[in-house]
Amino acid sequence: MLTTQQSDALRELGNIGAAHAATTLSTMLSTNIGMEVPEINVVDIAKVHEYVSDEPAALVIFQIQGEVSGGGYVLLHIPKTSVVRLTNAMLGMTELDRDLTEMDHSALLEIGNIMVSAFLDASATLLSIIMLPSPPSLIIDMPHAAFQSILAAQDFSDINQVVIFRTELHSDQYKITSNLFLLPNQPMLNEILAMLENLMK
Amino acid sequence: MQSPNQEVVMVGIGDYHIGRSPMSSIGLGSCIGLVVYDMERDTGGLAHIMLPDSQGRTDRPAKYADTAVELLVRELNKQGSKKEALGAKIVGGSSMFQSFSGNLNIGDRNIEAVRFHLKKWNLRILAEDVGGVQGRTITFYPAEKGKVSVKTADGTIRLI
Repeated sequence: MLTTQQSDALRELGNIGAAHAATTLSTMLSTNIGMEVPEINVVDIAKVHEYVSDEPAALVIFQIQGEVSGGGYVLLHIPKTSVVRLTNAMLGMTELDRDLTEMDHSALLEIGNIMVSAFLDASATLLSIIMLPSPPSLIIDMPHAAFQSILAAQDFSDINQVVIFRTELHSDQYKITSNLFLLPNQPMLNEILAMLENLMK
Repeated sequence: MQSPNQEVVMVGIGDYHIGRSPMSSIGLGSCIGLVVYDMERDTGGLAHIMLPDSQGRTDRPAKYADTAVELLVRELNKQGSKKEALGAKIVGGSSMFQSFSGNLNIGDRNIEAVRFHLKKWNLRILAEDVGGVQGRTITFYPAEKGKVSVKTADGTIRLI
């Protein structure tokens, strides 16, 4: 489904996007954010559970809009243990053993918006196009269930394989881990690959 | 819930398994976990259904409601199950997103399709836990009277 060259080009694109997202998070929290090398995997739908678990997490989910064919999603994934630490750091609170409130939800949506806008903006600039995030959807639930629901939506339904892009971002100071996922459907993937190929000519 | 040495078979999206050992599908969203249980032989199958209608596709029968019901019934018959001894449990079909374009009511359509095809094959529904907005992880224990555990993200576990 992907050649090594295509996979490398995609990784570089994701790398640039994720680095910009990491910078915005770093600014918001006034702390260093570490970033792992992006992973790109071509995954059979029957094996998605090996990459995405059912461990509860906060997910801020965006549809990709703009000058690309519809059918791609960006997800900011924050494991449940990191959620309170992240919103605490953002809201200037310290209590860890508390329930999530409307304020946490707003903070998560805001963080997602800023990070994912930066991610898409940087990637789109490289491709010389415009990509924008849709209004976000926040769910606190099982990531596999969210991925699966996205895959069952019209724009993915006819496929048996999916490309999953993931980059891990973390703050050692606040002990926060998060992951940026990019989930393009086939038409969007083809379009992005064609643009990347043109760039390298 | 399970004895320590007992391996749980993972059934991924569009996949299925038949046997007596525990089997599980994690993180069902709009997907359906369809359990067909043989009450006489304490065996059964689990299919992780993604979409309501195969539209003639045959490559992954467990992926679609119509072909998955038929697949489990036929496979169990082949292994010696009598049709009258079979019953079904269905779990999943939630609607996790309200605000995106695309196939929003896919969960509901999956539930309807599975019920329709179970009826067509004269299979009783023994229990169900469907709809809503939450994801679910299910584990099916054929050897323990067909017990099915349903876990949600808030940590709740129900037995059906």
